[in-house]
Order: sequence, then structure tokens, then C-alpha cells
Amino acid sequence: MIAMARYTQDKEELTQQKAKKFNLWLGMIGMFMMFAALSSGFIVYTAGGADRGIKTLLPDAFIYSTVLIVVSSVTMQMAYAAAKRTAFGRQKLLLLVTIALGIGFFAMQVHAWGVLSDRGVVFVNSNASQSFIYVFTGMHLAHIIAGLAVLARALVGRIRNIPQVNNVFRMDLAALFWHFLGILWIYIYVFLLLNQ
Amino acid sequence: MSTIGNASIHSVDHHGGHGHHHESFWTKYVFSQDHKMIAKQFLVTGIVMAVIAMLLSILFRIQLAWPDKEFPILELFLGKWAEGGRIHPEFFLALVTIHGTIMVFFVLTAGLSGTFANLLIPYQLGARDMASPFMNMLSYWFFFAACVVMIASFFVESGPASAGWTIYPPLSAVPKAISGSAAGMTLWLISMTLFIVSQVLGGTNYISTVLNMRTKGMDLWKMPLTIWALFLTAIVGLLSFPVLVSAVVLLVFDRSFGTSFYLSDLVVQGQILPNEGGSPILFQHLFWFLGHPEVYIVLMPALGLTSEVISTNSRKPIFGYHAMVYSLIGITVLSFIVWGHHMFVTGMNPFLGGVFMITTLIIAVPSAVKVFNYLATLWRGNIRFTPAMLFAIGMVSFFISGGLTGIFLGNSALDINLHDTYFVVAHFHLVMGSASIFGMLCGVYHWFPKMFGRMMNEKLGYLHFWVTFIGAYLVFFPMHFMGIDGVPRRYYSFTEFPFMDKWISVNEFVTWAAIIAALGQLAFIWNFFSSIWFGKRATQNPWSSNTLEWTTPVEHFHGNWPGEIPTVYRWPYDYSKPGHHEDFIPQTVPFSETMSSNLPHDFEGNQEAERIQREWELANKPQPEKEAE
Amino acid sequence: MGFIKNSNIRTVFLLAFSMCVLLSIPAFAQSTADTSVQATAGTDTAGTVGNADTASTVAVTGDTPAPDTAAGGTTVDEAIGVTSVATAEGDQPLDLDPQVYQNAFYYVLLVLLICILIVVVGRIWQIYELTRRMAGKDTTYYMHNIHATLFLVCLIVGLYGVYWSYVHHGAQSMRDAATEHGERIDLMFMITTVITTIVLVLTHIGLFGFAFKYRATPQRKAYFYPHNNTIEKVWTIVPAIVLTVLVLFGFFTWRSITNVPEEDQKNALHIEVIGEQFTWTVRYPGRDGVIGERNYRLTTPLNNLGIDFNDKNSWDDQLGSEIVLPVNKPVRVQISSKDILHSFYIPDFRVQMNAVPGMKTYFQFTPTITTEEMRDRLGDYNYDYVMLCAKICGGGHYNMQKKVRVVTEEEYREWLNEQPYFFTEDLRKEFQVSEATANEGSEKLLANAN
Ligand code: HEM
Ligand SMILES: [Cu+2]
Ligand SMILES: [Cu+2]
Repeated sequence: MIAMARYTQDKEELTQQKAKKFNLWLGMIGMFMMFAALSSGFIVYTAGGADRGIKTLLPDAFIYSTVLIVVSSVTMQMAYAAAKRTAFGRQKLLLLVTIALGIGFFAMQVHAWGVLSDRGVVFVNSNASQSFIYVFTGMHLAHIIAGLAVLARALVGRIRNIPQVNNVFRMDLAALFWHFLGILWIYIYVFLLLNQ
Repeated sequence: MSTIGNASIHSVDHHGGHGHHHESFWTKYVFSQDHKMIAKQFLVTGIVMAVIAMLLSILFRIQLAWPDKEFPILELFLGKWAEGGRIHPEFFLALVTIHGTIMVFFVLTAGLSGTFANLLIPYQLGARDMASPFMNMLSYWFFFAACVVMIASFFVESGPASAGWTIYPPLSAVPKAISGSAAGMTLWLISMTLFIVSQVLGGTNYISTVLNMRTKGMDLWKMPLTIWALFLTAIVGLLSFPVLVSAVVLLVFDRSFGTSFYLSDLVVQGQILPNEGGSPILFQHLFWFLGHPEVYIVLMPALGLTSEVISTNSRKPIFGYHAMVYSLIGITVLSFIVWGHHMFVTGMNPFLGGVFMITTLIIAVPSAVKVFNYLATLWRGNIRFTPAMLFAIGMVSFFISGGLTGIFLGNSALDINLHDTYFVVAHFHLVMGSASIFGMLCGVYHWFPKMFGRMMNEKLGYLHFWVTFIGAYLVFFPMHFMGIDGVPRRYYSFTEFPFMDKWISVNEFVTWAAIIAALGQLAFIWNFFSSIWFGKRATQNPWSSNTLEWTTPVEHFHGNWPGEIPTVYRWPYDYSKPGHHEDFIPQTVPFSETMSSNLPHDFEGNQEAERIQREWELANKPQPEKEAE
Repeated sequence: MGFIKNSNIRTVFLLAFSMCVLLSIPAFAQSTADTSVQATAGTDTAGTVGNADTASTVAVTGDTPAPDTAAGGTTVDEAIGVTSVATAEGDQPLDLDPQVYQNAFYYVLLVLLICILIVVVGRIWQIYELTRRMAGKDTTYYMHNIHATLFLVCLIVGLYGVYWSYVHHGAQSMRDAATEHGERIDLMFMITTVITTIVLVLTHIGLFGFAFKYRATPQRKAYFYPHNNTIEKVWTIVPAIVLTVLVLFGFFTWRSITNVPEEDQKNALHIEVIGEQFTWTVRYPGRDGVIGERNYRLTTPLNNLGIDFNDKNSWDDQLGSEIVLPVNKPVRVQISSKDILHSFYIPDFRVQMNAVPGMKTYFQFTPTITTEEMRDRLGDYNYDYVMLCAKICGGGHYNMQKKVRVVTEEEYREWLNEQPYFFTEDLRKEFQVSEATANEGSEKLLANAN
């Protein structure tokens, strides 16, 4: 009886975890829709007149930040693998590296804004296509902050030494979300490049 | 969150969700993570918001009916917004705006989906709770915060948002143009952002629960139509609400940072504004990309709830279950490609208008199928008129009337003359202000025993239904004709145009009908709140219904079922099955227990089962009568 | 039956009390002083009328147990106690005629009485049901009969109501369209109305008819009938066909209205209508037939539309005091807005188009009935076409109109001759000055850029 109960309970827990991960997928779909809406807004707006459009070269900083976030995705994946192999020290280290790279990405984006506004491509602009660059990157950075929080939570879990199942689960979610943010950035970057 | 709530299992509950066993007042009633409690929180908040919005509507109806009378008592309540006892024109617009916003978003989106998705998804699917009860709790509290902020906008000096519930810029972006676009609009935007967060948190949970947490045997085609509807609603919400975030974010930038996404070429009251290059039409595209799916977010749960109630109370399977599901899916998909019908006369490319007209009228086909299927369900039923059933029938009636007027509006050529007139007001009040509200009330009457363990008073329910049903038609039907005559909506009074004189008496009539219908709601409010404490105790399955929620005990506890979650063997609509001794067979009854009533297609091609059935039938003469197909 | 338990006088008082609370919710918008004043008023009247009320309550519900009435009484007393305290603290009450409160209170009282009446009816019904039960008669199915009958009544009265509305309100609201395309719209409107009315009537006969016919009886068992693919196909395809017809018809009408060939566009009379809070300005193109450009940056108190006088087309543009159009001549209206969205709407013409700041929109139509003729037709010699604003635009939205007159060609010319030019003496002067500075300015700009 007890074994049976335990079995059903484990199973229910498993469904719960599956469902939570699924929630994350859905959340990512939602976030993507938001950027899709911004993209179509951008297209509709830009198509509305010849004097609209990005009309400047995107700063190189965006290339560097792309590299940063791709590398951080790799380290995140390695951290996840380490967590699964119960190599906890390594997991901790790699998580820290990922967080550092994430912060680096953040700084690089802000730097890019500086470069843009030095060129006169400012946020408050009568050519809203240019304002859109800030909206895209800014909204993405807001998500990066959330991503960093998720990473930090995984790290805290590791430091507090939570049970291995939960540790792996947290890492799983964190990795998924972080990769999503990377892909989202690449999408935005490519979209802007195609329209520059 | 593995709360099983059974003494023998508690002892082995080592890992995972501790904490729900020793619930304090706060975790039980306030920051509850239990889907049933959250459902009740949504419902009560929704009702409170509905009452507020209704009172606002009575205020502006009074203005419309007696445009040249003074009501000093109003000045008492509203101060400078009703100086001399007459509502100020801008405050009139604020009333209309907040009424619309509250009704559409807070009552019919959160109050309806929030209540019934939370209540029914775990119950009817056989789950202990939502996929993430914590997110679920957050969803409610974000909603609550949104309500508070929205109501708070009545306290700001410059008044609440007054640019219409669709908040078209530039009006909503330029405080100079209307005072409600100052702090009031800011609060509106904050409130709406909180609201969207709430919806996305809730919606992901609903979808994920439906896809992952069904009990054994509950495959998708055994789900009740309520679940299908709530599930598809959540999908629509997940795909469309984030778009509103984008629209709102850009509007916030325009308002607060001076960007020009939506603004251009503005000279407001003699002052040239610096914004240049924006496009107000862009906002409308983004808004209606959400806005149209939003109206189906409002309608589809009502369709789901009434399907269930009509089937249960006709004691008949819902006619064409698959067709019902496919029409819901059709509506879901189509709802994303029709938004342009709100913009036929904005100067949008006329060819595009033609395309939107085609897609719009196509959406009437699945709607028609649903109506016919409802009728076929009633046909040769054994109809019990519970209050829920009355509201369900009323809902079908309103859905028909409102859907038919949609066919006028969807026709872009006719819409030229009808756009932004009272015809539109009549249309959407029938189809959502009445049909969806009736769906919601139908759900409340039907599932009240499940929520509170007590019954509502039937007689008051009857009174409530008849007053509301007749009242709603008297209020909204005449509005069509004003619209045809060319009376625009959101007009503060009809006194400035000679051709509108003839409608003033109609307006007065409508206002009286509205006041009486509003008073009729007292019967509901009283009934609802008194029955929570004093209602007759409910039995476990008061409506003799098939779905899983009625297999749970009347007393609530976190985890829903003591012991194991029941397994599902059949679809939810085996009502009045020939050969069975009762007129309902719950989903949890296996076919082996109903040998006398099984039909060939029940076995979905399982040959072993068919063989057993044949053998049983041979052994048990006389054979069950064959149904004439 | 919960009704017995609920249906006492306490119920009624609580109902009324909660209603007062609800009614006062909007009052939260105001300072507390106001609320307390209202409460005081309530108290005053309660003093005079309240007692009578309680008395009448007792009279009406003679069979109510006494303790309940007492309880009700205490509620009122308590309320008075509380509010009088509030009055003491309230400062600067609004000066209102006490009559106002009394009137309001009478209404509250009326509602209260109705509530009581309902309670009484409820109890009588209760007793009736009890006697039925004791007589061994059924207590559920007769209820179904009542509702079934009500639905039948609803069907008949409702259908008559629809008929009545069509005849009365319909007649009030349908006027002949005064434009060419308007007639096509009206034809389509009639066709759509006929089709939808047929559907409305049939489905409601089905809905309420079935509700009546198949009401529950102890004998009947519902007919297990889960689906029928043929029928379902039929009622998917038939609406689809009907809608296809409507769509095609609508699509071609729409295209014919909105898709005007270049040639016809050129031949039409061009006028411009500009919306702003809360007036319309009408601009006629003058002899050249071309409307000059506008640039909102040039807006000054004198040139309040921001007409760009560098564009020579604008020099002969005329300001129309109202919209006057020659009959049977195509008109192309160019619509725009100075500030926020408005909507150019002439119901008689079946014409509507939004006025969007920063964007020009157009609507081309041909008026076919002069104002005079329309007056004759309607027998109303004050009748005028009117253009109104149909897009929410602020406090004056409800009164943002312009008279529209359709006249004969000669009358039109005559009228047009009297309309003033935009480019007045004063503006000419201002323009010359600004042109000079503008030239300077642009030179400077050029210099900077190099
Ligand atoms: C048969 C299906 C329907 C069709 C063809 C249809 C068509 C339309 C059209 C063309 C408009 C725009 C009218 C205008 O502004 O000129 C409209 C407005 C509206 N419809 Fe529907 N509709 C249908 C069903 C529904 C349903 C089911 C709902 C909600 C439950 C709904 C809610 C609304 C609302 C809220 C508006 C007004 C929005 C506003 O401008 O404030 N409609 N409908
Ligand atoms: Cu729509
Ligand atoms: Cu207006």
C-alpha cells in the first residue's frame, strides 16, 4: 500500500515537473509573440514611407554581444551537463561564468546604445524605425534580467545543496530559458540586419 | 505539490510539497494556491467589478435619457464631474471607457476564464491542481492589483482614462486633448499591463494543465466541451495578449518619453506638438490583433459552459460533439485573421478591407454550426429548467441575435454606414454583454454547489433570469435602429442634432429597462452571497451530471480526490443512453458495468471489447433495442 | 427549501443596506466630507420617513415573525448612530435642497417595497408548494411547465416585438440614401436584413419551441442522438453558401465604392474637410480645382490650418461656411485631421471615413438628391443633411457637426462665389515675412550641414 502510494506520488511529481517545463515553453511562445508583434509593427511602420527605416549601420558592439551570448549558452549547457553528472564544483563555476557573460552582454548592449546615440540615432526620434532599435534591444534586456534571475536561482539552489532531482530540474529550466534568450537575440539581430 | 490529502498517504509524503497540510488563514483564504479557492477569488472579484461597471453604466444611461435634467444628487457623489447635477461631457466619456474596460477585461476575461478555467480544468480532467499552483496564485494577485489600480484612477485629480476602451492614440496620448489622458491613462496602462501578466501566467497554466495533467483514460476526445473551450481560449490569450503588451509599451514611450510611434502632425488646441512621423493606424492594427481574439476569449468559455449545461439539463448528449470542437478550433484560428474588420473606414488599403471582410464572414460559419448543434441538442430532450439551463438558453438566443448583426458589420460596404454607431454597440452588447454574461451566470448557477457546497435559491434564480433576459433585449434591441439612423456611439447627449430628437424617448425607455435589469441583479447578488453561508447543503452530484468534478466530495480539500484519482472510461455525454437504468452514466463508469447500454462505436474499434460485448448480448436476450439512425 | 430561511425581513433590510453601499461606491471618488453629508441626509429622511417605512413594512408582511422586524429596526438605529457621528466631523457640506435627498430616498424606499413584495410572493409560493407536496402532487415538474410556457410567451411576444420594432423604429431610421453608392448599400442592407430576419425567426422558433415542447415530464426519456453527419454537413454548407453570396455581393459593392478609377478621381470635384477639436473646416479648391498642400508646422493663429502658401495651388483655396455640393456631380472629399482622430460621417449619404492626423484619406461619392427634394420627400421643411463626427475625440465629440447642402449647379456656383479665400491680406503679409526668414533659415541650415 505504502509503496503503491509512493509510486503514484512520484508519478504525480513527475507530471508536475513536466507540466512546469511545459509552462516555460508556453511562456517563451508568449514572449516570442510580443517580439513578433514588434517586428510586424516595425515592418508596417517602415513600409509606410520612404523617409522611414533604420538608415544607419548597426554598431559592431552587437556582433560582440552576439558572441558573448552564444558563448554563454555553451557554458550554460556545460553547466547543465555537469549538474547531471553531479560534478557540483564544475557546475557552480560554469554557472558563474554564464552569469558573468550575461552581465557582459548587458553591458555591451548598453554600450551599443551609446554608440548609436553618438551617431545621432537616438531614442526620441521622428523616424520611429530608429526608435524601434531601442525598443527591441531594451525589451530583450528586460528579459535578460529575468534570465539572470533564473540563473541566480539555480546557483543559489546549488549552493544551498538542494536535492539532486530539483537541482537538475532547475538547471534544465534555466538552460532552456537562457538558450531561448540567446536565440531571441539572434532573431532580433538578424531581423534588424535585414532591415538596416 | 503532491498533496494527496489522505491520511494513509500523509505518512509517506517525504519529499515535495510540504506545507499545504497545515494551512493558516493566510495560505488558505488569501494567498491560496488551491485552484478552487483561486477560482472563487476570481469569481468574487469579478462580481464586484461587474457591479461597479454596471453602476457606471447606469450613470451614463441617466445622462443619455435625461440630457437636460439636473440630478443634484449626482453632484453629491461625483463633485466637480457632475457640477450642477449634470454629468460633465468628459466624465461621461470616462464612464463609458472604464465601464467598457472593466466589463471586457476584468469581468468577462478574468472573471469568466479565471473562475471557470481554475475551477473546472483540474476538476474535469482529474488533476489534483494546476500545473503550477504558485503561478496560479500570482495570476490572481496580479489581477487583483490590476483591479485596484483601475479603480484608483477614479481618485486622480484629472479623472480616469476617457479615450474609449480601445484607447486609440493620439487621443489617449495627448493629455491636452482630454484630461483623462493624463494620470488616468497612465493608471489605465499600468493596470492593463498587470492584467496581461495575470492572463499570461494563468493562460500558460491552463494550457499546460490540459496537455499534461489529464487523468488516466482522459484523452483529448473525452474532454468535456468546457475544457475544450477554456483550453482554446487560453491558447488565443497566450498568442494575443503579448501583442497588446507591445502596443501598450510603444504607447507608454510615446506618452512619457516623447517618441513618435503613433504620433504625427499634431496641432492640439493651437499648440504644435514635436512628435513627427508616427502612425495612429499602427496602434489600431496592434490593438485589434489582440482585440478581436479578445472578443472570442470572452465568448468561447461561455460557449463551453453552456454546451455542458444544455447537455446535462436536456438529459441528452451534446449534438455533434466533434463538430462543436472543430468549430471552436475554427473560431480560434480564424479569430486571428479578421482584426481588420474594425478598421474598414480608417483609410486602410481598400483591397485589404475586402480580404478582411471575407475572413470575417467565414467566421460566421462555425458560429452557425454551433447554434444549430445547440438546437439539435434541445430537440427531443427532457429539458429541466434549472436557473443554469435558463441562462444557457438565453445565451443561445443572444448569441444568435448578436451573431446575425455581426453579419451586417462584417460586410465592409454596410459597415461604412454602421461603423462607430449604436448598431455596433447593440451588436457587441448582445453578443458579449449579454451572451457571454449569460454564459458566466449559467456557469455560476451550475457550479455553485461545487464551489461552495451549497445550493443557490432557485426561485430567485428564476426571477433573476427573466428580469435580465427581457431587460437585456429591451435595452439593446432598439439600439440597432439608432445605429441605422446614423447616431454615433459615445455621444454625450442627443440634443445637438435635430434628427436625433426622435431617439430621446427611446433612450429614456432604454434607461428604464437598464435600471430595472440592474435592480434585477440584486436578486443575484443577494442569492449568491447569502447562499454561500445559508444555502441548502448540496449533494455530491446535484444535477446528475457525468463529468468528473461531481465525483469529488462536497467538502473541499487541497488535492480534490481522497485516494486515487478516478480513471475515465467514456466521453462525458452519455445521457439517456438507451438500455441503461438511469439517464446518466458518469465518465468513471467502465463499459463492463453498462453492458446493457453499450453501443458498437463506444469501443473505438477495440475488437476484444466488441467480442465481449457480442457474447454478452447473445447471452442476455432480449437484445437491447437498436436505435434508428 | 432555502427560501423560507432566507425570506425574512432581515433579508430585506440587508438588501437595501447593501444597495446603498453599492450606490455610494462612485462617491469614493470624492472627499469624505461629501459622503458624510449624503449619510446625514439619509438620516434626516430616515427620521421622518423611516418610521413610517418600518410601520408599513410590518403592515405589508403581516406574517413576518416579530423578532426579525426588531432586528431590522436595530440595523436602522445603528446606521443613524454611525452617520450622525460622521456629520459632526464633516466640514463644509454641499448645499443641496433637502428635497433632493427625499426624492432619492423615495426611490430607495420603492425598491425596498418591491423587495418586500418579492419576499412575500416568495413565501406565498412556498406555502403553495408545501400544500402541493402535502396533497401528494408533484413539486418539480409544474415548475418546468411554467418556464416552458414563459418561453412560448416570450417567443410570441418577442416575434411581435421584432415586427413592431421593424415597423416603428425601422421606419424612423431608414431614409432614402442621397447618393449613388448609398442606394447600392441600402439594397444590400435590405437583402441582409431579410436573410438574417428569416434566420432569427426560424432559430428562435426552434430554440423556444423546443424548450416548450420538450420540457421535462416524468414519463419522457430524452432521445439519445449524439450526431448525424449528414445533417451536420448540410448545416455547415448551407450557411457557407448563403454567406458566400453575401460576401461576393458585399465585396463587389465595396470595391465599386472604394476603388475609383484614376480618370473618375480626376473629374470629381475635390474638397477638403479637416477635423479638429471640435469643429470641421471645409476647404474648396478655387478656380484651379486643386487643393493646396498643408504643413502642420506652419500653423499660426492666423493660418490656423497650416496651409502651405509656397504651394501656389493654395492661393485661391476658399473657406466653405458649410458643405455645399452640386447635385449629380462626383465629389472626392479629402479628409484629414489637425489634432486627433475624428470621423467624417454623413449618414444620409452612407459615407464615412476617419480623419487621421498626418495622413490623408479620401471618399468619393455622388449626391443624387438635393436638400430641397429630400425635404419634399420627408415632408419636413427644416430637414438638413448633416455631417458629424463618429470617432471619439473628447468632450465636444457629441456636437461636432457641419451642415451639408446639396443644391443645383447654379446655386452651387452662386454660393461658392461668396466664400472667402484662405489667403487673406493679413496672411499675405505674414507669408512674405516668414518666407524671408525661412529663406534665411534654410540657408543657415545648409551652411551648417556643409
Ligand atoms: C458572427 C460573428 C461576428 C461577426 C461577423 C462580427 C463582426 C464584427 C464587426 C465587423 C465589428 C466592427 C464593427 C465596427 O466597429 O464598425 C464588430 C465589432 C465588435 N464585435 Fe463582433 N462579430 C462577430 C461576433 C462577435 C462576438 C462573438 C463577439 C464577442 C463575444 C463580438 C464582439 C465585438 C465587439 C466587442 C465589437 C466592438 C468593438 C468596438 O469597436 O468597441 N463580435 N464585430
Ligand atoms: Cu472583431
Ligand atoms: Cu469626435
